[in-house]
Amino acid sequence: MAAALGSISEIEHELGAQRVDPETGQPIQRTSVMTHVAWVPEAWVEAAEDVLAGLAERHPSRTIVLFPEPKQDDSLIGNVEVDRYAAGEGRQICTETIRLRLRGNRVQAPASVIEPLLLPDLPVFLRWRGLPPFGEQPFEQMVRTVDRLIVDSTEWPGLPEPYEQLAEIFDRVVVSDIAWARTSRWRLQLASLWPGIAEVSRIKVTGTEAQANLLAGWLRSRLGSEIELEHEAADKLTGVEVDGEATAFPPGAAPDPADLLSDELERFTRDRIYEDAVKATRM
Amino acid sequence: MTETVQPELQHENPLMEGLKLRRAPDPCALVIFGASGDLTKRKLFPALYSLALRKLLPSRFGVVGAARTEETDDDFRERMKAGVQEFGRDPFNQETWDWLAERMRYVALDFADETGQLEIVKVLNELDDKQGTSGNRLYYLAVPPSAIATIVKEVGEHRSTDGWTRLIVEKPFGRDLESAKALNAELLENFNESEIFRIDHYLGKETVQNLLALRFANGIFEPIWNRQFVDHVQITVAESIGIEGRAAFYEQAGAIRDVFQNHMLQLVALTAMEPPIDFTADSVRNEKVKVLRAMHTPGPKHVVRGQYGRGYVEGEEVPAYREEPGVDPNSLTETYVSAKLYVDNWRWADTPFYVRAGKRLARRETTIAIEFKRAPHPPFEDVGEGDLQPNVLVCHIQPDEGVSLEFAAKVPGQGLTLRTVHMDFLYGGAFRTGIPEAYERLILDCLLGDATLFTRADEVEEQWSLVDTIVAFWKRDRPAFPNYEAGTWGPSGADDLMRRDGRAWRRH
Repeated sequence: MAAALGSISEIEHELGAQRVDPETGQPIQRTSVMTHVAWVPEAWVEAAEDVLAGLAERHPSRTIVLFPEPKQDDSLIGNVEVDRYAAGEGRQICTETIRLRLRGNRVQAPASVIEPLLLPDLPVFLRWRGLPPFGEQPFEQMVRTVDRLIVDSTEWPGLPEPYEQLAEIFDRVVVSDIAWARTSRWRLQLASLWPGIAEVSRIKVTGTEAQANLLAGWLRSRLGSEIELEHEAADKLTGVEVDGEATAFPPGAAPDPADLLSDELERFTRDRIYEDAVKATRM
Repeated sequence: MTETVQPELQHENPLMEGLKLRRAPDPCALVIFGASGDLTKRKLFPALYSLALRKLLPSRFGVVGAARTEETDDDFRERMKAGVQEFGRDPFNQETWDWLAERMRYVALDFADETGQLEIVKVLNELDDKQGTSGNRLYYLAVPPSAIATIVKEVGEHRSTDGWTRLIVEKPFGRDLESAKALNAELLENFNESEIFRIDHYLGKETVQNLLALRFANGIFEPIWNRQFVDHVQITVAESIGIEGRAAFYEQAGAIRDVFQNHMLQLVALTAMEPPIDFTADSVRNEKVKVLRAMHTPGPKHVVRGQYGRGYVEGEEVPAYREEPGVDPNSLTETYVSAKLYVDNWRWADTPFYVRAGKRLARRETTIAIEFKRAPHPPFEDVGEGDLQPNVLVCHIQPDEGVSLEFAAKVPGQGLTLRTVHMDFLYGGAFRTGIPEAYERLILDCLLGDATLFTRADEVEEQWSLVDTIVAFWKRDRPAFPNYEAGTWGPSGADDLMRRDGRAWRRH
């Protein structure tokens, strides 16, 4: 277990030390394409670690995982891991993971903690686990700091109301939603029903609440009509009925969570179709 | 499998907006002539398997192996399965293999015998019925040059009238300008140029395509990519292996036909070409042809050939070329060629392109090195002009795929001592998705009808025109072969070629 580090300078120093190959004394090459920040409240720790494990090798980056612990006494506790991967003949590259526990009041100023650790000139992606506290200090600070916010609205209670608050930040930060990505196969399937689907008035979605709302919002916004939504709860999207008629199941297998996040980390521009769908989730 | 969507439907359909669509190939049947050869087992089937694994092949697909060897469908499947397991880049997945194996057939035939062609047509029609391949045909000619004309004629006479027909022709594409022109004429008797895909697998390498990205997607390189800033260019295609049992082929081809005529001249063309107006097949190929046409024919003093003698590679003693099985003990076939080339155009006038390719060299390496002119005046005390190394931008095609830039940095401490340091971009380091094999990309492009990475007839003819001139003056003398030891960087004449210009080959 690596020693706990209590300041940014200690973290930077430890990163430098771990990037040197102990056998040769030579620095290991770092090839980064982004800084990936994850905000992980306690309830999401296990799920977040699982996804991160599948990501490090695919997206060489500096990953900063923030664990907010507001009920603890004020302090910053960090540790650093430098993972090495073979790349080319006899060469290695490394990726870095910095885990930071923000305790007490440190939770209120997370941007000031991550700013000095961001890789210069590379895009910053923020994965926010759970429902973001829209309008509150930590979230607003982070939104101002990053280039892209990645959420999974499947993790949000009380849908569709939070979509209204989400829509308010679209002009400030590019937003990706993993719940939306999970509907892509079904959207393609529904699109293949054109022009028969043009006059649809009601859909029934068997899946998560997020998927149901987003699919309904998508059809409303694209077709410019009011479409009634009936939702049957399920862990994943397993069926869509259009005016009472079941749609064929889309081909291929559903991607796993690491694949979905990985895809989102490759996008850099606003997804206007998603934004319109979110805005149309409430009729 | 991603569905193919008609473009006009996509345009009218509001639900298609923003959906990420992968280009999907049409249903089709692939016929491989030369299915008993090494290329099919080592490269083509591993590539097909990797495409199948990623669901990039059309769902309605079939593949027919055709060769002289007597074999059943099951024998063929077993042999290809072993090839996929041994040479594939992906872990073996039984389900994917079963999918592919179900679509495989084999036909034993004599290429010149019409009965064999009729048998292929029968099998293809069966695939149309069973797998829904819709009459679309892709013929892969992985056969010796002597067999191509016969197959092309037979295939042309029995081509399907229902769907499209495409033809992939493996190198060598002729052995001189005359034979290349004759081959082009034979092909064009039965097919039009848009149906012919002359393969040069170097163009399918990700890192070769990355050269275009490096040049044309970055604002910083193109302004200095010319005679004003570039001192010279060095292109190396070095192999540490010998001829690997291919004596019959190599004795006829030599390094100039095996590598120089195709891979090397393609790398020169990609390095020197002007920006195309877009990335369509004809735009890119038009620019490459302009470079080949602008190439000054090198004189005898600007070309060096060599043949390896005995030596050591990776600590192991290896035989001389003339001692390889099947090679004439007095062979005059070159296993090494280097040349100083000029591209006579506005951008490159008077800028030499030094190129070298050979077998049994010190290491396996393909690189394109752009050496920039030195800083004009070192303002530092204690630093002589000779201490300042020029900046070099190196595109590593293989191994260690990537790009590196060499520049001078101050050594920490008192005074001002400079040292050349490398800034590396390692392709596999930044993108960890696995680099597709060249054949995967090229087969898929052909299925999609995209000829950008294939060589056009006029390119091939320009390449041969240059090679013919070199070969013609080689015929006038008798070289003292062998003239370099295996495991070294080639004959001393190649070093002299550079030394005369006050330059040296890059060392590693």
